Amino acid sequence: MYVAAKGGEDAIQQAEKLYQHLNGTLTPELVRSIEMNMPYLVDRVMGEGSLYAPELAALALAQTGGDLYEAVLLLRAYRSTQPRIAYAAPVKPAEMLTVRRISASFKDIPGGQILGPTLDYSHRILRLDVLDNPQENNHHSHSENNEAIKIADKPASPNYPAVADWQRGQGLMAQLPEQTPVDAADIPDVTADPVLFPAPREHRLQALSRADTGGVLALGYASMRGYGLIHPTVNELRLAHAEVQVKHPVTGATFSAGRVRVSQAEVVTSGGENGKTGLTVGFAATLGWNEVKLIAASTLDMEMNQPSPHPAHTEEFVMYHTEAVEASGFCIHFKLPHYVTFASSVDNIRKVIATFYSSEEKSNGADKPTEIQSETATSEAMPS
Amino acid sequence: MPVILNHLSNLIDAPRLVTQTPLLRASGLKKQYGRITAVDDVSLEVYSGEVLGIVGESGSGKSTVLRLLNLEENVEAGDYRLNISGLEAINLFTLARFQRREVQTHHIGIVYQNPHLGLRMRYTSSGNVAERLLITGERRFATLREAARVSLAASEFPLNRMDDPPRVLSGGMQQRVQLAKAIALEPKVLLLDEPTTGLDVSVQALVLDTLKRLQRERHLAIVIVSHDLGVIRTLADRVMVMRHGRVVETGLTDQVLEDPQDAYTQQLVHAKL
Amino acid sequence: MTTSLAALAAPREDYSYAFLDAYAKRELRRRTLKAIAIPGYQVPYASRELPIARGWGTGGLQVTLSLVGPESVIKVIDQGADDSVNAANLRRFITRMSGAATTTDALQATIIQSRHRIPEEVLQENQALVLQVPDPEPLRAVQSDSSKAHEMHADADYGQMWLVLYEQLVRYKQYIQGASYPSLVNGRYVISPSPIPRWDTPKLHQSPHLTLLSAGREKRLYAVPPYTDVRPLEFEDIPFQVEDQRGWICQHTGAQNKFMNEIPLADGTAAYELSDTGYMEKLSAEANGSTRGATYYDDEGNFYHAGYLKPPVQPD
Repeated sequence: MYVAAKGGEDAIQQAEKLYQHLNGTLTPELVRSIEMNMPYLVDRVMGEGSLYAPELAALALAQTGGDLYEAVLLLRAYRSTQPRIAYAAPVKPAEMLTVRRISASFKDIPGGQILGPTLDYSHRILRLDVLDNPQENNHHSHSENNEAIKIADKPASPNYPAVADWQRGQGLMAQLPEQTPVDAADIPDVTADPVLFPAPREHRLQALSRADTGGVLALGYASMRGYGLIHPTVNELRLAHAEVQVKHPVTGATFSAGRVRVSQAEVVTSGGENGKTGLTVGFAATLGWNEVKLIAASTLDMEMNQPSPHPAHTEEFVMYHTEAVEASGFCIHFKLPHYVTFASSVDNIRKVIATFYSSEEKSNGADKPTEIQSETATSEAMPS
Repeated sequence: MPVILNHLSNLIDAPRLVTQTPLLRASGLKKQYGRITAVDDVSLEVYSGEVLGIVGESGSGKSTVLRLLNLEENVEAGDYRLNISGLEAINLFTLARFQRREVQTHHIGIVYQNPHLGLRMRYTSSGNVAERLLITGERRFATLREAARVSLAASEFPLNRMDDPPRVLSGGMQQRVQLAKAIALEPKVLLLDEPTTGLDVSVQALVLDTLKRLQRERHLAIVIVSHDLGVIRTLADRVMVMRHGRVVETGLTDQVLEDPQDAYTQQLVHAKL
Repeated sequence: MTTSLAALAAPREDYSYAFLDAYAKRELRRRTLKAIAIPGYQVPYASRELPIARGWGTGGLQVTLSLVGPESVIKVIDQGADDSVNAANLRRFITRMSGAATTTDALQATIIQSRHRIPEEVLQENQALVLQVPDPEPLRAVQSDSSKAHEMHADADYGQMWLVLYEQLVRYKQYIQGASYPSLVNGRYVISPSPIPRWDTPKLHQSPHLTLLSAGREKRLYAVPPYTDVRPLEFEDIPFQVEDQRGWICQHTGAQNKFMNEIPLADGTAAYELSDTGYMEKLSAEANGSTRGATYYDDEGNFYHAGYLKPPVQPD
């Protein structure tokens, strides 16, 4: 018995070292800097990694040189090793510490339209002055456009009601069903249960929450642009900090274990089958602030409730194909050697050639198979 | 004289029809889509060797009745029995999915107006027919080939094209492949949903000839749905007129089409003229 | 004395034994038992993310990690080779996380994790073969919707699979399914045996060893228990054929009638070498007293279950 040490092992170790070398040195300062200065990037990795850990997400980004799919995989793989030690209490929109809450459905809403932090109405102009005056900016990081933020005379309220509450009060939207309290441990968990279809709504919302931003955007955009059934109206978009309320294992007292950045979006339509008797709602929420993903995701959530959705809005299609780690992993696996499967296919080609072409002189090539390419689409060997 | 002999045998057959129990018996069929009632309290009986025509305008529920008889959908209410050994006592709507498929496979053949519903357009025509035998567990390739040949020949399909996929065939030929597929396992019931609609008149006549011959030879119980009274007149012994999901009139074909009693039927017959 | 929370907690660099936490391992073992109890049935499981890219063997890896112990002896191969970079990487990870020993000898291993090959030597009762599966669904080519495919399995509704073979025979006068040849397990479920070449498919039939097949990305695992019937789908009158490599001779060992890699040469010809590098190693070392076990195919190419493979028949 011996430990197999082969050329291959050395090669992969050297390849990884070269990659790290070209990415530069991995330092705690770099990690800290990413965590502090790239919050939206960190949010995206945490959301898709379905683990709220800014420091670890920043480490993942630093370690992979900013390769997003690799960073998400790192965080997910780390998550796999972590036991679940507690279940947080449900987060209620009205209790969240909201910093941005807008609605496209009404000019004004109870509590007001709160613009909060956003680039929505900024001019997308590169700040080249930062490059021209590196010294100055290092010292005056809040100069020019970065003038100190004006403090409001009266601080805004941290809490805002849900827009949907008003619509429910008006009878425009179906009432929320009476909820019997459930044990948090009994809530289906897409990361710990086998996924079957039709999926429980919990699985669907969780899958959208951790889905690939680009994937959700592509499918959601297809729906918005013309392959969908309905026009989404952003009923409410909210960026907030939420308290993670957990029960003390010994005393049973509820306490806050910390705050996390969360975002949620709700889109509505008067289209669709139920649209004539009330608004149809789509919802999505995620860890971190990621508006574009949530608007697309909530649109998909709404489309999937329609009676005959486009394939891109069927639950199975959306959930399978927006899974960041699975989609990217499978895509890059085609780099792996496939010479055994290839040999098996070549064997068939040779046999078909031998059957129909090598005996050509004898049979004058009668009955040659036609359209080999197009006709074998359904009968060809499965890819690997 | 063959004509007279044929005529005589028809006369001899006639009383047998009456004394037999019907092969297919459906009663009180009711089907709803949301708030729309597509089929409301429809009952029908068909004997072996008999052709029942269902006529009515689009939306009358006639195609839905056919889908129900093919066990493709569930009903809100209704009883459906086939007088086939082992099945007599069973309302087929109560069967589980798997058993339904068994009944469908062995005892019912169907031809749709749209060949895409009945055929795999990219597979060979012979394969479309052979699939019926594959479903029942036939595992000899030579047997499958022969069965495909026999069925395609019976539906008067040119055998030199048996391995062409339906997508490259004409509409008439596609319907013949569907027909060959439908009769491959020699079912007792044949359901025809506008089988010749959209075909050229000359092709239509040929396909109807084939259907008539098959019906004669195989003693099938046939239900044909059509909005074309000419087709019904050619093929059907009895006719059932539907409107808004209900049956408004039934009777012998000649009787109903020559002397319609119901106002709607009168309108239908006159519109045709 | 005050103790900080950090001091009380385990160091952050620590991982569970064999990486997965106990809950995940227990779930995997339960699913594995179910898979063994229902041969060929695809058991859904909650596939965990591993520090290996999805689609690179994480399904096989999870099963291996749930089975491995310090006393295990692991062999990992990719396309038959122990020294392939991907096999090396997986082996490195398994040993790093479990402390298990490794080998390239197929008969010394207690667990063999493999991508796309089954070794040439007949595996034994105390061995488990873990096959990495990219797509567990043999019906995928005829039904891309997995919930519908699930229903078809429940009804043993495999008519379309047979139709595909019928079509191949009509068009090409032979089966042209390449690797992952669909096979019927225990007369009930059709499986994809993973993309092993047809050469390897018969090795699953009535084998002394246990085969576990696991797809991490698709979250399904299934099993062929020891001494279970596995039959490639074939018509009674047109037998299934393995790859025809007669006359191919391994350039290193002179071996024949084992699965070969074909290596294109600059002069337009090809050289051949054994795909199973562990077996090749043994042949090379035979002079030094290494002994090889019985093989599934003898040196004349006869399969060890007489009559299982039949000479080719071409349809009329």
